[in-house]
Amino acid sequence: MKKNWKKKASLLVLTVFSMSLLLTGCGGNDAKPAAPAEEKGDKVTAGFIYIGPANDGGYSQVHDEGRLAMIEAIGADKVETIVQEEVPEDQGIESVMNAMIDNGAEIIFANSFGYMDYVEKVAKANPDVKFMHFSGYLQGENYGNYFGRMYQPRYLTGVAAGLTTENGKIGYVAAMPTPEVIRGINAFTLGVRSVNPEATVQVSWTNTWYDPAVEKQAAEALLDAGVDTIAQHQDSTAPQQAAAERGAYSVGYNTDMSAANPEGYIAAPVWHLGAIYTSQMQSVLDGTWKAESYWGGMDDGVIGLSEFGTCVTDETKAAVKAVQDKILAGEFDVFEGEIKDQNGEVKVAAGEKLSDADMLSMMWFVEGVIGTIPQ
Amino acid sequence: MLKVVKKAESSAGKKVLINVIGILAALLTAAVFLALSGFNPLEVYGAMLKGSFGTHYRFTQTVINAVPLIILSLGISVAFKMKYWNIGAEGQMMMGAFLGAYFALYHSTWPKPVLLVVMLLAGCVGGGLWALIPAWLRAKFNTSEAITTLMLNYVAIKWIVYLQYGPWKDPKAFGFPKMPNFTDSAILPSLGGIHIGWVIALVLVVVIYLFMNHSKAGFEIAILGESENTARYVGINISKTILSAAFISGALCGLTGIIQASAVTNNLSSALASGIGYTAIITAWLSGLSAPVIVIVCSLFAILTQGASYIQTAFGISASVASVLQALILFFVLGSDFFTKYQLVWQEKKKGAN
Amino acid sequence: MENKTAYIAMENIVKTFGKVVANNNINFSVNKGEIHALLGENGAGKSTLMNMLSGIYIPDSGSIYVEGKPVVFSAPKDAINAGIGMVHQHFKLVDVMTAEENVILGQKGGLLFDRQDGEKITALAERFELGIDLHKRVADMSVGEKQNLEILKVLYRGARILILDEPTAVLTPQETEKLFRIMRKMKEDGCAVIFISHKMNEVMAVTDKITVLRRGETIQTLNTAETNPQQLTELMVGRPMDLAVKRLEQERGPEAIRVEHLTVKKLEGVPALDNVSFNMYAGEILSVAGIAGSGQKELCEAIAGLQKVDEGHIYFRNEDLVGKSPKEIAAKGISMSFVPEDRLGMGLVAGMDMVHNLLLKQYQNQKGWFLNKKAALVKAEEITEKFEINTPGVRNHPVKNLSGGNIQKVLLGRELDNQPEVLITAYPVRGLDIMTCHKIYDILNEEKKKGVAVLFIAEDLDVLLALGDRVMVLANGEVTGIVDAKTTSKEEIGLMMLGQHQKKEGKHLA
Repeated sequence: MKKNWKKKASLLVLTVFSMSLLLTGCGGNDAKPAAPAEEKGDKVTAGFIYIGPANDGGYSQVHDEGRLAMIEAIGADKVETIVQEEVPEDQGIESVMNAMIDNGAEIIFANSFGYMDYVEKVAKANPDVKFMHFSGYLQGENYGNYFGRMYQPRYLTGVAAGLTTENGKIGYVAAMPTPEVIRGINAFTLGVRSVNPEATVQVSWTNTWYDPAVEKQAAEALLDAGVDTIAQHQDSTAPQQAAAERGAYSVGYNTDMSAANPEGYIAAPVWHLGAIYTSQMQSVLDGTWKAESYWGGMDDGVIGLSEFGTCVTDETKAAVKAVQDKILAGEFDVFEGEIKDQNGEVKVAAGEKLSDADMLSMMWFVEGVIGTIPQ
Repeated sequence: MLKVVKKAESSAGKKVLINVIGILAALLTAAVFLALSGFNPLEVYGAMLKGSFGTHYRFTQTVINAVPLIILSLGISVAFKMKYWNIGAEGQMMMGAFLGAYFALYHSTWPKPVLLVVMLLAGCVGGGLWALIPAWLRAKFNTSEAITTLMLNYVAIKWIVYLQYGPWKDPKAFGFPKMPNFTDSAILPSLGGIHIGWVIALVLVVVIYLFMNHSKAGFEIAILGESENTARYVGINISKTILSAAFISGALCGLTGIIQASAVTNNLSSALASGIGYTAIITAWLSGLSAPVIVIVCSLFAILTQGASYIQTAFGISASVASVLQALILFFVLGSDFFTKYQLVWQEKKKGAN
Repeated sequence: MENKTAYIAMENIVKTFGKVVANNNINFSVNKGEIHALLGENGAGKSTLMNMLSGIYIPDSGSIYVEGKPVVFSAPKDAINAGIGMVHQHFKLVDVMTAEENVILGQKGGLLFDRQDGEKITALAERFELGIDLHKRVADMSVGEKQNLEILKVLYRGARILILDEPTAVLTPQETEKLFRIMRKMKEDGCAVIFISHKMNEVMAVTDKITVLRRGETIQTLNTAETNPQQLTELMVGRPMDLAVKRLEQERGPEAIRVEHLTVKKLEGVPALDNVSFNMYAGEILSVAGIAGSGQKELCEAIAGLQKVDEGHIYFRNEDLVGKSPKEIAAKGISMSFVPEDRLGMGLVAGMDMVHNLLLKQYQNQKGWFLNKKAALVKAEEITEKFEINTPGVRNHPVKNLSGGNIQKVLLGRELDNQPEVLITAYPVRGLDIMTCHKIYDILNEEKKKGVAVLFIAEDLDVLLALGDRVMVLANGEVTGIVDAKTTSKEEIGLMMLGQHQKKEGKHLA
């Protein structure tokens, strides 16, 4: 028996050793040890909660890039960040926020819609801490929300796509029938038809935010239906890949996606969240922070247009640039009348503009969109 | 040369010892791994404990994490005792929460005690009925419940997604896909700073223990699980026993759903279960389907989850590293089970046979 | 020790499983051209020892020599390479393949065989007079043929030392005789045969030497010619023992069960019981003989209400039991102690302790929702004492951890405790040691004395004839004869088991 134990023990050590070798080979390397709270001096600590991995190449990555840009802008000597990735939209986020507070966080940014109610709950329990929730709508003394007027650059990509498409048929791979997505489709379509009045935008719902396989299939179905350009409101690059494989044009989202469709990539509406993170942190440092529902436009630099792809002509670039300048100068509003819905009914009269509230609850398609909004 | 040799059944004490060695081996392995990743393992382990017990709030969170696991595991254990592989806790939880939420959303004006009792009962019924579908298929057509219960999970989740994006969408949410929050009258009260679900869980542990060990119905479930022939011989109504055990199993899962929706998230959403129904299968199995042991195992699991989440924040350890830690511990504990039944023997290889 | 080197010698073999010492310092040797019996009760260590010789287990200590050279077997392959082959109780054959394919299966080259292989196999089969049609599918073979095929397989792999683990348990007397002829043929050919058995008459009939094991130790090796069953039994059991199975002579009572034209069909529509009619009487033991799978299981289950009956009637006191539930039938006083092949599949719940197994028959008569375990606990202690059940405890010790004999006693004890009027017992002594067997026979005789009608299904024809008053023979679901046990020979029964209907009408007893 004794002998057996010795063998067992040596076997155990061997297993332990080989497994650890294996694990370190593929283990996480993006771990950033945060200095314990007591050493941080007069730095301000911010917590960042992401729904996906920080390097997901899309949604969560634009937030993490924003965080890094903010540190760059303000200086690593003044700010400290705590990051928690892959936090599901359930009650577990409450302990994550509390743990961040215990570790000195003075402001917490939470990047997914499903976190909203929990953010409010924890915010109410921790009045000294500030909370900003991305894409939501709740606001209180110490908690607010932030988002960008993504419909502006989407309109610009619409203009570019409308000038680039050859048959006037554009497909749009859309995540879920929420006002945000619908607004984007509408803005894009308005952009397309401002330069190509007969063009149509056909919508395909995937009911996923990030599922490359499903999203690619949706794009392929649209291409089968005859579109020559694919636009997307998805966090993966799969629709771009589908377009690339069929030699079609494509409009990306979140970040520059030109790598996924080098030949046919037109442009993408992209996030520059560094701007908002920097201004938020600066106001915390200055002691001027106030809860708000921030909805920044292109003029704030929080959103923008990516570089154009190689297939875009100089004339197109110039046309887009012209509209962009007007938006930046405040001379042009995307949802300014006259705008008709799919049935030809006038939804926004000439000369009128949609209010923010109307835009935030938009549940109808503009003329030129092919598709329905599931109820 | 190493050989695997079956050994005599280990005594209870030895089994515990082997499991403890398993946990220690897991911690040791993880320590090597952490050290190689540049962390001090002792500090990390300390932080895990701190993360689960360090403050009153964290302790509360740990308990809140343990409650649904316990009730789900109890439910699963009833079905598993019958060797009825209910993999559908996730879906049953959803359907329980759905039926309970119906009363929370559409009868919120009822007096609070009445509303809450109706909601809890509706949770049981919703989960129970959902579990009856595969049970009926099994009793009638002998279909594999492992498949049907699993498949129905997806149906249930898609049903909730449909409600969330369609008929039950909160009109006050500016079109955002979110169901209305429950009003105060539909939220379970707290006792000792933690929602009353913990009391329900503990009461159920006793009830299920008595049911499985001292009631006729529980006895019949156990007999059927051991041998269908014997059950027939004794005169047990097989179909009825399958249906009732599946209903009880589903009812407990459904109850978990409505408790979570009412007390923890305060609303219904498709993210309500998010995998806990599968975790509970592991905890039920690790507990050997014994109600009292379920409490211990689920609490340990809650500590592990809570601790793993905390070290991400405290040390900036990435999510994947924390998952690896958790998985390692599970792997070793499950793996150590092997050594309660088998042993490795070192066989000196002399001359080969000629 | 003898001068010439033994073909195989096992010296000071020790093997333990946990705390259980299965083999303690065993010495055993076999010579060429010898049939050597390994005799011992269940748990004496016979199978363990042979599993080490065939490379399945590895001894904790001790040495094995083949022709004087030490060998170490760490896998069955090593043993086969050394010329040792074992035929297990459970056949390892592929049903859908032919005999020839089964022989070649698993050899180098798989099923791609050339004519040489075929010739070699045919030559082997002929040399040992195995009588196998090499192109017959295993599915179509009788048990005896399958066993011979297993032997052929082992021989083809080059075995010169053949281990047969209780080979006769499943054979008819005719098939047993044939097996013995094959064994003698091998002996003439210079092979060695190790024959594991606990049937005294067979051991006496066919072997040259006998090694008796008891409780993991070698007791003695004797020359068959110089010993007798009485001595062997004493060595096996450890004390003098009366071997005879005695029939209790008494007048039978009134009719208890009348079965008329009973037909039960399997799923495929093939009859498992075909127009079976017989009577059972109070105070009588009706033995049932038949090759395994001739309809015994269906008969038991039909009487107990577990099996759907397609045609016919089963009358108990002129009341038809067909269509009644098992519970109703049991309530009338018909008890079944049916031991299927895995012993724990029906009647007992393997994973539960004795108390809960007794509760099985009690709890439905209890009031309320909860179990009352007190009565079962008392009963368990009683039965343990009465039937001398060897158990670490009646609570918290699953019956599956008991030995076969003790499990059997628990089952019988529970059934008899209900004081049944009809007792159906199938294979009650399967795999039990001699002591326990006799204990069970005594129990059955006691029940008979009480006036119980006993249906006794078993494999051992000697016992069926010695214990039963009448013997009913089943073949392919048909009754081929119901005969007086006192005036019928084993050979006659054997022929009926193979499907030949009983000849002499005069002997027929209905």
